[in-house]
Amino acid sequence: MLRILHDTNIDFIRWWKWAVGITAAFIVLGLGSFLINPRINFSIEFTGGTMMQVEFAKPVDVGALRGALDKAGITGAEIQQFGTNREYTIRAQEAEQRGAATTGAESVAKGIERVLNEQYGPGQVRVVRSEAVGPRVGDELRRDAVIAMLLSFLVTAVYLAIRFEWRFSLAALLATMHDVITTIAFLKIMHLEVSLTVVAAILTVIGYSLNDTIIIFDRVREDLRKGRKESLYQTLNRAINETLPRSILTHATTLAATLALLIFAGEVIRPFAWVMAFGIFTGTFSSIYVAGPTLLWIERQWPRKIGISKGTSTATRTSPTRRSTATATR
Amino acid sequence: MTLKYRILVIIGLIIASGVALFPRNVKERVKGPNGFVYDTVRRVPLKRGLDLKGGMHLALEVDESKGPVANKADALDKALTVVRTRIDQFGVSEPVVQKSGDDRIIVELPGIDDPQRAQEVVQKSAFLQFQITDKTQALEKVLPRLDAIVKTSGTTVAANTPANGTAAAQAPTPAPSTDLFTTDTAAKRPADSAKTDSAKTDTAAVAPSTAGGFSKLIQQGQMPGEYFVADSDMPTLESYLSNPAVQAALPPGKVIRFGSDSSQLANRLYRTMYVLDAKPIITGENLVDAKPNTSPTEGTIVEFQFNNEGGRKFRNETSRHIKDYMAIVLDDRVMGRPPIIQSAIGSRGQITMGGRNLQAASDLALVLRAGSLPTPLKIAEIRQIGASLGQDSINKGITAGIIAIVLVVGIMTIYYRFSGLLSVAALVLYVLFTMATLAGFGAALTLPGLAGFVLSIGIAVDANVLIFERIREELSHGKTVRTAVDEGFKHAMTAIVDSNVATALTAAVLYQYGTGPVRGFAVTLLAGIAASMVSSIFVVRTFYMIWLSRSRNTQTLSI
Repeated sequence: MLRILHDTNIDFIRWWKWAVGITAAFIVLGLGSFLINPRINFSIEFTGGTMMQVEFAKPVDVGALRGALDKAGITGAEIQQFGTNREYTIRAQEAEQRGAATTGAESVAKGIERVLNEQYGPGQVRVVRSEAVGPRVGDELRRDAVIAMLLSFLVTAVYLAIRFEWRFSLAALLATMHDVITTIAFLKIMHLEVSLTVVAAILTVIGYSLNDTIIIFDRVREDLRKGRKESLYQTLNRAINETLPRSILTHATTLAATLALLIFAGEVIRPFAWVMAFGIFTGTFSSIYVAGPTLLWIERQWPRKIGISKGTSTATRTSPTRRSTATATR
Repeated sequence: MTLKYRILVIIGLIIASGVALFPRNVKERVKGPNGFVYDTVRRVPLKRGLDLKGGMHLALEVDESKGPVANKADALDKALTVVRTRIDQFGVSEPVVQKSGDDRIIVELPGIDDPQRAQEVVQKSAFLQFQITDKTQALEKVLPRLDAIVKTSGTTVAANTPANGTAAAQAPTPAPSTDLFTTDTAAKRPADSAKTDSAKTDTAAVAPSTAGGFSKLIQQGQMPGEYFVADSDMPTLESYLSNPAVQAALPPGKVIRFGSDSSQLANRLYRTMYVLDAKPIITGENLVDAKPNTSPTEGTIVEFQFNNEGGRKFRNETSRHIKDYMAIVLDDRVMGRPPIIQSAIGSRGQITMGGRNLQAASDLALVLRAGSLPTPLKIAEIRQIGASLGQDSINKGITAGIIAIVLVVGIMTIYYRFSGLLSVAALVLYVLFTMATLAGFGAALTLPGLAGFVLSIGIAVDANVLIFERIREELSHGKTVRTAVDEGFKHAMTAIVDSNVATALTAAVLYQYGTGPVRGFAVTLLAGIAASMVSSIFVVRTFYMIWLSRSRNTQTLSI
């Protein structure tokens, strides 16, 4: 049989300080860029405004397009190439248009369409997609996205606390929060547009990373029940090693699907695929280097008196944990 | 459960999925040679979301920009009924009209090819009134006062033109530009009334007047209460009318309404302005039917009918107003030239549409039938996706899906060989079950949903990977194949259940707080989790059982 990294005995946890350094550097880099440019590239779903995707019959230059819009009084619109140089997205804030006509969010789109038709002639330009969101809806969607994220933390934390134990739950939760923060840093560095779909991708990353953590913790839970005479530090390392082939296989298949999306599924879904691709790495990383060390740290702060299961194999539980404290701090 | 029952369950699931997905006749709006027509097509009953099908999504809110609305919740409920009636008659397949939260109406119109028209039909207030034009010279009586007001506050009012942003912001400008009938001529009048009056007056020469600030803008028309205003003077006049002092000085019991269109007199464009009795003789409330028609003499018309009560009232009122002119006012805009009332009018009448086409007439008839909106609605959110973009997304999504499947199948069969093949067979069932679940629950497949589905192909094998790795461990501990398989499934189960439940909980949260496409993503994710639990645990287990029962004394397992 074909085997990858089978029966390994790598001391993963030993490198946790390096890991912390790497992830901290990445987060500082990502969040630090807020100091230079504090703007997150939010989609109009969150900011309110108008977005149009237009397709031209012939290739069009961004500068010329901007000139055409400026001349018609639609200033400050954000123009981005979308795939080929025949397709562009135009984003305009409603507020910038307020002065002229107060007919509502949809009028900006009509204005842009009219201008483009005048400039490039009818039939030369086609609106393939247009969205207009009022500011109030934008606020609500932003609020809902935040609620969704917090609620998913809460719900999964409660579930893990029931199925495992609060120490595991807390460690998994911190690992998940780490994923969210690094993903935000990644979005910032890549300057990806944060839309509702990207929020969905972040939640999927949360779920995926949680999966990984659960798989490892499940092993830890099982090994603890066996009551081996070893420290939690060792148990954790063993669990990571034992689940290593699974991790590699699953990440490989998930990455394959993600890359297929990234390359073949088109421009609209690309930010989603980017977030997912990044999430596979950060999720794997955090399951080993955030959830693991955090669990050890929590154990040291609040050592367990009795085992996780109230079952049979809890007799030797106290001493391994205490030893784990010692090893973890070395 | 014995092997026999397991196989039966799997066959049952496959049959059920097949039934759920079997192509059936669906009534659908398809593009024909003359625009969209209803047709029965045979296709897989899998619903596509608006972002894949192309179409229009609208979120409407109560518009309070022109004054507060007293009972918002109640008004919205009534508006919902009206919008639903209008949309039902508008003719799109599977439209959605629903309340979202307690202050918003969501309208989804799949495959719409004319978003502008759809928006008008939804948003039009359609408040129909019949009002008698003023014959008491009320405006003339107050003109000196108006001129005086304009003179004293002349500087400030003059600055009140829309050209000046800050001043315009202080005075609420009337909103003629938002009116839906700003284009063609739309003369309308009840049928029974005199035909003599309809189209003869446009020749009147309008002598320039030299009176004061206000009165120089307007000129007396031919009928009582009718005035002409040059198009170029409209902004000034509107800014005067928005002045509170002017408003206070206007004749009591009368209202000023403008005509719906401009007409050309002596080489200049003029708008008609009417002074009307504020109290309408009848409103569109009693209207029971309206339908578009073409008449050889008058072009496109909308014929309408009042109910008995309305007809009686209309007859009484018109008989009291013989020889008066009656303006037909739709959404505060006078439609066409008010006709003279020759004799009492009964329950039927008609509105001539002037140069507008039959579709405009049928849209007007539609909104008249559905009744007026109790409150103006504004658009809070609008998304419109072209059908070609949707189809393009589907094609690309399917390409990505096929490539993902090929890659995953490759990885699984190379790494796990025979067992990998079992999981690939399970993967095929996974795709089938997920599609069937979506079709069965009538959930729509959206673009993020499609992406989520492709992604889930990669994640779906995770359960099998866990199980196979476990079986390998058990085998390396020297267990027999049969025990190793049993133990492998047993031990991998807790991790699979816990991780899937955690993901399902996240998906449920996403469903609760997501909108539109994202909600579609959550649904696909949930369906995928359910399907993968069945396919990778139950189905693969059964495959192993079949294989083990066929080779009883097997010593090795290809894994």
